[in-house]
Parts: sequence; C-alpha cells; structure tokens
Amino acid sequence: MGIRSIIHKMTAPSQYGESPSGPVKLVLIVNNGLKMGKGKIAAQAGHASVQATLKAGEKSPLILQSWLSSGQKKICLKGDDADHLLVLEKQAKEAGLLTSKIHDAGHTQIPSGSLTVLAIGPCQDELVEKITENLKLL
Amino acid sequence: MSKSDDSPSMALIVRKDLGLSAGKMAVQCSHAAVSCTMASRKTNSRLMERWLNGGARKICLKVDDLQSLQRLAGQAQAAGLVTHLVKDAGHTEVEPGTITVLGIGPAPRRSIDAITSQLKPY
Repeated sequence: MGIRSIIHKMTAPSQYGESPSGPVKLVLIVNNGLKMGKGKIAAQAGHASVQATLKAGEKSPLILQSWLSSGQKKICLKGDDADHLLVLEKQAKEAGLLTSKIHDAGHTQIPSGSLTVLAIGPCQDELVEKITENLKLL
Repeated sequence: MSKSDDSPSMALIVRKDLGLSAGKMAVQCSHAAVSCTMASRKTNSRLMERWLNGGARKICLKVDDLQSLQRLAGQAQAAGLVTHLVKDAGHTEVEPGTITVLGIGPAPRRSIDAITSQLKPY
C-alpha cells in the first residue's frame, strides 16, 4: 500500500459514521414502579442489552466495536415509571442516540406488556449523561 | 412444560454468596447475555436467530458459590453449549476479577434444563 492510500485510509470518513472519541457505555434504566424481583430485573436488563447490542451492530458498528473491546461498560439506573422511561427515550432519540425498549411477555410477576427496561446506547459517556444525570443507581 | 417446547433459551446463573445489589446483578447478567449472544453469532447463528425470534428467552437462576458455578460451566462446555463466565472489573461491590455470573446458551431448552434443573430461580 502506498503512503497516499495509507493517509487516505486514516483520514477518510468511515462508511459507518464516526468512531467514538472517548469512553462509551450502555445505560439501562429500569422501571422502578413495577415490583420486579432481582432475577426478573436481571433477565429484563439482559434482554435490553442484547437488543441494544444488535441494534448498534447495524447502525453504529464502530461504536459497538469500541464498547465491546473496552469491556462493555454498563450502568443500571432507576426510572420512576413507564411514562418516565418514555420521556427519557424521547430525549435520547432527539439527541440521536440508539434506544431499545423492553416490554415483558408477562409470564411471571407483572402484567403482560409492561415496559420494564429502557436501554440507551452504547454511546459516548457525556452524550448519555446529559439525559440521565438526575437518575439514581439501582 | 410440554415436551414439544424445545425452543432455545439462555440461562444466567448468579452466585448468591456475593450478595450483589439488584443493579449490579442486572449489569453482570447483561454482560453474560451480550457475550453469549456474540459468541453464538459466530458458532451457531441459526440457533441464535431462532432464539431471538422466539423472544430471546432468558432465565435467571442462583447457585451457592463459585465452585458450583464452575462445575456447571464445565458441564455445559462438555455438552457443547456456549458458555461465558463474567469476571467483574471490581469498580464497585466486589474484588477485581471476581467471577459473578455464568451465561449458558442460547441452546435448546432441553439441553439447558439437563444441566440447570436443580437450580432455583433468583
């Protein structure tokens, strides 16, 4: 490969949007209005994470790559209720971030169709922190 | 459970001796779920697709300690199933390098049940 093509490769914009400049994370926001047990929450968070991962694989593979190779940083926060999660989802979408919503099939514990978890990201820390800074850790 | 119900499932098995908080446990289980999904995408993508289309079924179970977790991981590997042991980075709650969760699958429900039928849901 010639020096020009190397330089071109380094400076050309990526086919898949920009590579993230800084740490990236996935934020999981649990609907705390539902009385879910720990195991239930864990399974729902697992759903949200897998869905967010697959979505990022299609829409922002460079961010996904960077997130996977930096240890899949995740954080779990609590939202008040379904409406609260929807407001956060709207804000995240307006900021151009990927979101995934999980509705429970309702086999156990809670009514069928309940919104249990909202995932935002993976994306750069500071972008999602603007939206979630007031939320408490679960 | 009907005998014909052999749709793929994933088991997330948590060490209860660590006394993880709900949030920590959710994060560790998510980690196992994502890693197992990515691994099975390479080794058995058809099964993974079937699992996703069937609602990506997951169940969260508990074991007493690390030894039990490692024994199950060995059994699952011997059965040829996708496994992932989550080692925590230890930023919070537990020591760095602590093994917290074992993910098994996605795999046919029968294969998972054969290994996990003695475990209780978390």
